[in-house]
Amino acid sequence: MSAIKQHRRAGFPWLWTALAFGYVFLYAPILSLIVYSFNESRLVTVWAGFSTRWYGELMQNEQLLSAAWLSIKVAAVAATIAVVLGTLAAMTLVRFRRQWGARSMGIMVAAPLVMPEIILGLSLLLLFMSMADLIGWPASRGQGTIIMAHVTFCMAYVTVVVQSRLAYMDASLEEAAMDLGARPLKVFFTITLPVIAPSLVAGWLLAFTLSMDDLVVASFVSGPGATTLPMVVYSSVRLGVSPQINALATIIIAVVVVAVSVAGYLMYRQDKQRTNMQ
Amino acid sequence: MKKVACGLARVIAWFTVRATGLVFAGSALNAAAQGSVNVYNWSDYIADDTISNFQSRTGISVSYDVYDSNEVLETRMLAGRSGYDLVVPTARPFADRHVRAGLYQPLDKSLLDNYGNLDPVILQSLADIDPGNQYLLPYMWGTTGIGYNVDKVKEILGDDMPLDTWRLVFDPEIVSRLSACGVSLMDDATEVFVAARAYRGLPTDDYSSAAAQEAADVVAAARPYIRYFHSSSYISDLANGDLCVAHGYSGDVLQARDRANEADNGVNIAYAAPAEGAVVWTDVFAIPVDAPNVANAHAFLNYIMEPEVIAGVSNYVAYANANSASVSLVDDVVRNDPGIYPPAATQERFIVLQTPSDSQIRSMNRLWTRVKTGR
Repeated sequence: MSAIKQHRRAGFPWLWTALAFGYVFLYAPILSLIVYSFNESRLVTVWAGFSTRWYGELMQNEQLLSAAWLSIKVAAVAATIAVVLGTLAAMTLVRFRRQWGARSMGIMVAAPLVMPEIILGLSLLLLFMSMADLIGWPASRGQGTIIMAHVTFCMAYVTVVVQSRLAYMDASLEEAAMDLGARPLKVFFTITLPVIAPSLVAGWLLAFTLSMDDLVVASFVSGPGATTLPMVVYSSVRLGVSPQINALATIIIAVVVVAVSVAGYLMYRQDKQRTNMQ
Repeated sequence: MKKVACGLARVIAWFTVRATGLVFAGSALNAAAQGSVNVYNWSDYIADDTISNFQSRTGISVSYDVYDSNEVLETRMLAGRSGYDLVVPTARPFADRHVRAGLYQPLDKSLLDNYGNLDPVILQSLADIDPGNQYLLPYMWGTTGIGYNVDKVKEILGDDMPLDTWRLVFDPEIVSRLSACGVSLMDDATEVFVAARAYRGLPTDDYSSAAAQEAADVVAAARPYIRYFHSSSYISDLANGDLCVAHGYSGDVLQARDRANEADNGVNIAYAAPAEGAVVWTDVFAIPVDAPNVANAHAFLNYIMEPEVIAGVSNYVAYANANSASVSLVDDVVRNDPGIYPPAATQERFIVLQTPSDSQIRSMNRLWTRVKTGR
């Protein structure tokens, strides 16, 4: 016992170094982005004094703001549809594991996870084009097609997350509910859904992030008036990244930090309640 | 917990309804598009009030999207049914290729009252790729030349050395002296080879493989002193003072100059159109063959050709426009800048790029890779 303790103490400075290195590696770039959003100069690399000028200009920049709003809208809608479809897929895969077809379906669902984005984007573009030829819908590309494309690959991630949660769920809970006379739909909403709820939230957040982040697929399937935030940022890189983008990123980071803190606090409180009950 | 689940289910249901509604509403809206025009232009390539003035005057709503390279535009055009009514490719080689591929529809000149304002010389220069100027309407033009850091270059080469010459990037004796300070070339075989031939005083309309070989030899001699080959990163490097001499687009170099001025970092950038001959390029408006709002596209073009409007755009983006009626309305700072409106003597030596054939492109690219990697 004491030997182990000594060993641990010997490793102590290393642990701290590794931890510090990890923090710097993860957060130094974000920190520099935030610091330079308060830079007076237009050049990203030259510090010329503190100012909130870029936040003011960001509020005037209709193009950037509407792109950010479009991205948030697309991400929220796509994540929500992906959660619904992904949950259905996961239910099917876990409950009908023995059926033939379910196994191959399990593999097919994972395909978008490993498919290069550019192939996904191109194939979706071709699909939308031939659909427009055959059935006249979607007549034009834009927000709707971006949402559909994002649902396609987000769904795969949600399925994987929900599936693993479902697989470890205690089936006797559902059986007990059915024994007591609940109909399957009732069982799903009162038993299954609460048990897998954390994985739904995790899947939704994952899908939201992936959709917000996507440039390649969106630039293939978008149309007039549907320019997402990554597309605007990328197209302005040629003339140098304006500090307005730093300012926007800082705001997004602030919102995420607040949201994560609130979620963390709620989870902590729930955890405490649960231990108190026991 | 039950309540939470029910709430969750309700939220999900609400979102699903909203979402499907959005998907359908979105496409219905686009399909019905009346009284609107969809413009797809380069980023930062229009004045900040051009669109809003057009909207308030005509009541036509403009949806304005931007791209950052001809390749992005080309992908959209080739895929078809892009939904755009107006696009702005560079004339050569892109618009040339697109016209031949039948991607654009002829302009209806009866709807373009202001067509007479356009510069006949520029229209004539486009006639070989677009006979009779049926498809393409010139917007802005500029040159490819040399951007340099005035103070550093003068310090190294002395005050007497003329700087409007390709020797700054191709003469090994001079480039070797500048190399510590940084020299860049564009990553574009056609541009660099034509410039190299202009530097040697060779005919610039020869694209044979022998001609390309001659040009490649010129570049290879200067290659050891070139820091990098890139078509846009010189903008920020010039502005930051990390690069002394860059082969690049006039507008991009002037952007670098303005940015350095704005940052007040003591870096002084200038652009020169080389006297041996600078390559001139033109960006043109075109209407895709499947454009949904053709009449509004013409209305927008007619508006853009008004002298006051296009002069405002030139003042904002610092590019020369193709509208001769507007020249007197352009700010003196822009009009008298030799980098934007070069002197007549330089204009006479302008080089118009041709579109090389496929086999010529292949041989040029092969030589280009060899030169770039220094083998």
